Amino acid sequence: MRPAAALFCWCLFAGSAEAEQLTIALSTGEINVDSTFSGDTVTLFGVIERDAATVSRNTDYEIAVVLRGPPETVVARRKDRIAFIWVNSASETIGDAPAFYALDTSSELGEIATPALLERHQIGFDAIQFTYDGRAAANDPAAAEFRDAFIRLKQNAGLYSEQPAGVSFIGATDNVFQSAMWIPANAPDGHYKVDVYLFSGNALLAHEEGKLDITKVGFEQFMYAAAHQHVLLYGLACVLLALSTGWLAGVIFRRD
Amino acid sequence: MLIYLPIAGLSVNMFIIFGMGGAVGFLSGLFGVGGGFLLTPLLIFSGIPPVVSIATVASQIVASSSSAALSYWRRRMVDMKLAAVLMLSGAVGTLIGVVVFNALRKLGQLDLIIGISYVTFLGLIGILMLRESVRAMINARKGRPAPLRRAAQHNWVHRLPFKMRFKRSKLYVSAIPVVALGLGIGFLGALLGIGGGFILVPALIYLLRVPTNVVIGTSLIQIVATMAIATLLHAFSSQTVDIVLAIILMVGGVIGAQFGVRVGQNLRGDHLRALLALLVLAVGARFFIGMVTPPAERYSLTIVTGGAL
Repeated sequence: MRPAAALFCWCLFAGSAEAEQLTIALSTGEINVDSTFSGDTVTLFGVIERDAATVSRNTDYEIAVVLRGPPETVVARRKDRIAFIWVNSASETIGDAPAFYALDTSSELGEIATPALLERHQIGFDAIQFTYDGRAAANDPAAAEFRDAFIRLKQNAGLYSEQPAGVSFIGATDNVFQSAMWIPANAPDGHYKVDVYLFSGNALLAHEEGKLDITKVGFEQFMYAAAHQHVLLYGLACVLLALSTGWLAGVIFRRD
Repeated sequence: MLIYLPIAGLSVNMFIIFGMGGAVGFLSGLFGVGGGFLLTPLLIFSGIPPVVSIATVASQIVASSSSAALSYWRRRMVDMKLAAVLMLSGAVGTLIGVVVFNALRKLGQLDLIIGISYVTFLGLIGILMLRESVRAMINARKGRPAPLRRAAQHNWVHRLPFKMRFKRSKLYVSAIPVVALGLGIGFLGALLGIGGGFILVPALIYLLRVPTNVVIGTSLIQIVATMAIATLLHAFSSQTVDIVLAIILMVGGVIGAQFGVRVGQNLRGDHLRALLALLVLAVGARFFIGMVTPPAERYSLTIVTGGAL
């Protein structure tokens, strides 16, 4: 319903702004993850609004859609050979890292905007601004190997992705676009933020935000919450379960 | 059938985990050991995080040991005073073990210490057991009676101060070795996910000269108590006990143990011990190989805050 509604509404509410305006709609605002969840697609629809006062451009519109998960702090460790065994030796604590980062664009990143512009809006893996424990400067080159390892491991886990052809304009239009974002089963829960950027000729014309909540539900979530919120009760329950299993086994398989 | 483990944060095949619990239960019934030192490595090798494996196996040991402990208790084959001293010191040892466990985890060195400890313990115990069982087999073949293990009635342990009287065991020994044993077993149990029966029973027999009729019952009571405390402390301090994983392991374990006991009655003791020794050495070797082969991925990530589950 919502994307369709958004498509109809934009004509009604299109104002008389000079620059383009963006209107976006997500196919859903919330994903409930249960134990059978094996990933899902969230579709984003967007419309670039223009009116008579909008200047005509001789460059194409370019879109970048960034879906960011909640921030996390992660320790990245490197194993080194000490004597004859492999030991975790060097490490770096990475802060402010999005737990999930998916970037969909309408063209290759280099064709969309200048590196400085991408950097400012943290578009693309290279532009994400991590912080490092004990390092004053963000993106300290000394931490680069851990940064690269972090991004590579996140990509392997399906939690970080860059899709240069992820955004497509619908039909023959040059102002209605869509992007299908894959939410993998291991996506951490929390509040996700969608940022949609409209570029043309290396300039940012408009920016819109959306929200997506990923919530784990069901028995497993209940157990996870219990283990983390009622630590003592959960521990007692585990011990009681073990004792009663042992007792029951003794009753069933009684040998004496 | 895939089942999601909420604390480990991954999906596993339920029947594989059930089979593992059953197989280790079978072996523990067969050999009369707790099986923690086999189950924890098996879980680690199958991809479950070591922290979750260790904490969860602690609860599994409670289940697998408590039915036997109860049966010994009913038959009054327990020295309660000795068990109480062991339990109290075991509780302190467990607490220290959990503190060290969490500190090592924070430093990122837990896996290494677990690996080194398992290689050392399993290697040492495997070699000792293999030597003893091979000797027994040679003796049996040559028709010689097995030499009676009867060392002098008193050894250095019995000369230590702070003596205590344990009526049920007819013992008058220093409290120092008893407390040290309890502390040590509790510490190792919490740190490595083992019950420690395979250390405690020989130590009680050969070091303290506890009569064999109360040794098993007393050590089982101590193991149930310290592992219950370890489960509670792990759940409390690091939230690493996976109740779903625990249930599967417990049920598999208690069923497997029944079959193990039956098969064990038809096998010769020295053959059994030789088999167990080889198994122990194989697990130790697997840990060693894992530590010396260059890892496929040198980098690893540990989430400190946020992004959980």
